Amino acid sequence: MESELLSTPQDFVPILIQLIVAAGFGVGTIIITHLIGPKVRTENKLGAFESGVEVIGNARQPFSIKYFIVAILFVIFDIEVIFMYPWAVNFREFGLSGLIEMFVFMGLLLLGFIYIIKRKALEWD
Amino acid sequence: MSAIITLSLLAILVLYLGLFKARRALLPVSLLGLVATVVLYGVQWGKTAEPLYSGMVLFDHFAVVFSVVCVILTILVLLLSKDYFDKSSPHVAEYYALLLFSLTGAVLVVSFHNLAMLFIGIEIMSVALYILAGIRKKDFASNEAALKYFLMGAYSTGFLLFGIALLYGASGSFDLAAIKEYVVSNPQGISPLFYAGILLLIVSLAFKLGAAPFHFWTPDVYDGSPILITIFMATVVKTAAIAGFLRLFYFCFIPLQDFWVPVLLVMTIITLFVGNLTAIVQQSVKRMLAYSSISHAGYLLFAIVAIGATSANSVLFYVTAYSLSTIIGFGSLILVKRATGSEHFEAFNGLAKKNPYLSLAIAIAMLSLAGIPLTAGFVGKFMMFSGVLADYQVLLVVLAVINAAMGIFYYFRVIVAMYFKPLDRDAIVVSGPYRVVFFLAALITLLLGVYPAWLTGLI
Amino acid sequence: MSVFYFVAFLSIFFALMTIFTKNPVHSVLYLVITFFTFTVHYILLNAQFLAVVNFIVYMGAIMVLFLFVLMLLNLNKDTEPLKSNLVKFMGVIAGMCLLVTLAASFRLLQISDPVVLKNPDIGLVSNLGKVLFSDFLLPFEISSILLLTAMVGAVLLAKNDPKKV
Repeated sequence: MESELLSTPQDFVPILIQLIVAAGFGVGTIIITHLIGPKVRTENKLGAFESGVEVIGNARQPFSIKYFIVAILFVIFDIEVIFMYPWAVNFREFGLSGLIEMFVFMGLLLLGFIYIIKRKALEWD
Repeated sequence: MSAIITLSLLAILVLYLGLFKARRALLPVSLLGLVATVVLYGVQWGKTAEPLYSGMVLFDHFAVVFSVVCVILTILVLLLSKDYFDKSSPHVAEYYALLLFSLTGAVLVVSFHNLAMLFIGIEIMSVALYILAGIRKKDFASNEAALKYFLMGAYSTGFLLFGIALLYGASGSFDLAAIKEYVVSNPQGISPLFYAGILLLIVSLAFKLGAAPFHFWTPDVYDGSPILITIFMATVVKTAAIAGFLRLFYFCFIPLQDFWVPVLLVMTIITLFVGNLTAIVQQSVKRMLAYSSISHAGYLLFAIVAIGATSANSVLFYVTAYSLSTIIGFGSLILVKRATGSEHFEAFNGLAKKNPYLSLAIAIAMLSLAGIPLTAGFVGKFMMFSGVLADYQVLLVVLAVINAAMGIFYYFRVIVAMYFKPLDRDAIVVSGPYRVVFFLAALITLLLGVYPAWLTGLI
Repeated sequence: MSVFYFVAFLSIFFALMTIFTKNPVHSVLYLVITFFTFTVHYILLNAQFLAVVNFIVYMGAIMVLFLFVLMLLNLNKDTEPLKSNLVKFMGVIAGMCLLVTLAASFRLLQISDPVVLKNPDIGLVSNLGKVLFSDFLLPFEISSILLLTAMVGAVLLAKNDPKKV
């Protein structure tokens, strides 16, 4: 790993190209369908498609906080996992002490996870 | 360091005790753990302090003394919580755990030696408090307090980070010793970015302290939060904020005094007047105490305006006196509110007849907050004023004396209500822990007022 | 260098769009784009780990949270109270003060020494890991306390209390 050559911003050019292709494909298809597709503008065509069921009410409705708690817990563990990335890259070099250091960190968050499970915060009652 | 580990593990332990329905054990375990923390600090006392963990924390005398003050204040707050929480919610364990987490953050803030630790400490302290401010989910004022505190607090954290980033950009390090080295070694060539960084740090730390013109959150948050949480915010958090403020400026920025002292001087004067003038017109004791805490933040800033070797001592003394009196003030308010359902001055009418000892304790607290001789508050104010006078800031002292007079006016309204406005009322039942806390706080306030040397020689 | 100016222009442009657009959902989407331009900045600085974290955590997770929060609010009515002119005026003054302070201090900087990283590889994942697990070990471990606090708080505030029987 140490003999790795300089990694520079230029190395990201392929990723940039891929991003452009991906975004370009999405935008391109939308534009092309607009150009070559048949234009039928009836009320049914312009309305929201709800599997053939009549649309009821407004889409902008406040929804249950249960989704939110899942999302916020996801973010917290997302951050935890992100921290494992620089650790894993240097795993051999850190040796045992690095392992212990990481396990202390993860252990504390694991305690939090057990707490969440015990409090049934993720159950969908 | 062992103290910080103890505190964090204690918080987790309390959390788990709550999970396993060991409700009765919560308070004893928390108190025991906090006492153990104080003992651990005591063992550390007197040893030569070295920066630990590649310069992250430094447990010098300053850090140890302020940490112990924070922990002892938390013990008093927890004693008051004996049957405060049980009524409102089933999640008492979480409240204790969050208070302890917040205390951990406060301890980090007073013992940091690296700006990264300052940031993490302030965040842990504040995040726990954002939540605690809003634990009364059905109460609109509590929700408002939590949201307001969170939004404003997050914004001020942005300032803190921006300031730290600019300091890093100029000096190339987060370490306090390295930053000091940078300031001392090139007195002419200090980057302009460094100055901007200092200003931004002043903004965010003044916010945490509740000093004007960054005080707008204080009244609403103190008023809306449950009283017990307000006590914690007004005592422990304020102590940690001023101690962290002083530590940063005393360590690093003294050579640049000419730059930032005028800024702080103006802020101090504004803070004094805003706090006192608005406190006078309040009708609710809780709001009065909230506004008066702003003015006390002003008095605390004196120590930083006249920064020097004695600043730490005067801050320690002032903050101890202020916190003890605040605990009595808000604590008695819990009892009065429970008995009468009101937080107004009238709720204290005729209290002296039925509860002479309680009234005496409140009177001592109010006298101390007002700065009357023979109480700790007087000595605290005296130390602050003499420190500033030694710096020839005569105008500031004159303005401060005017403000102290205003303070006497509104603190005496409580005493007048208790002693001179007769009203037939039932005696308030004061439970055991409350008696202990009030007795201890009043006793220490008086003792420190008579023998100030007990506390002044510590740092 | 010209790439930097282009991306910096985009950042500022989309940040302004975030503030000025009326529709809160559009505002969040502009914020996503702003964050994306930050990712590009990080790549230009060769801070690859930050770029990846910014991409995954900020653009991915946190922006989803923002949208969630918006959905929790009631967006149907125009409930946003209009600020009085005094408040707007104060805001402008305060913001301008900050801008002037910063602009003045940047103006005084010497532009003669172009920024050259001593170690251009400093932002790579493995180097960052080495610093994180040696010098900054304590903040790293303590940040788990912060995450734990946030976890407890989220559960405490967002979870419905069980009905008392």
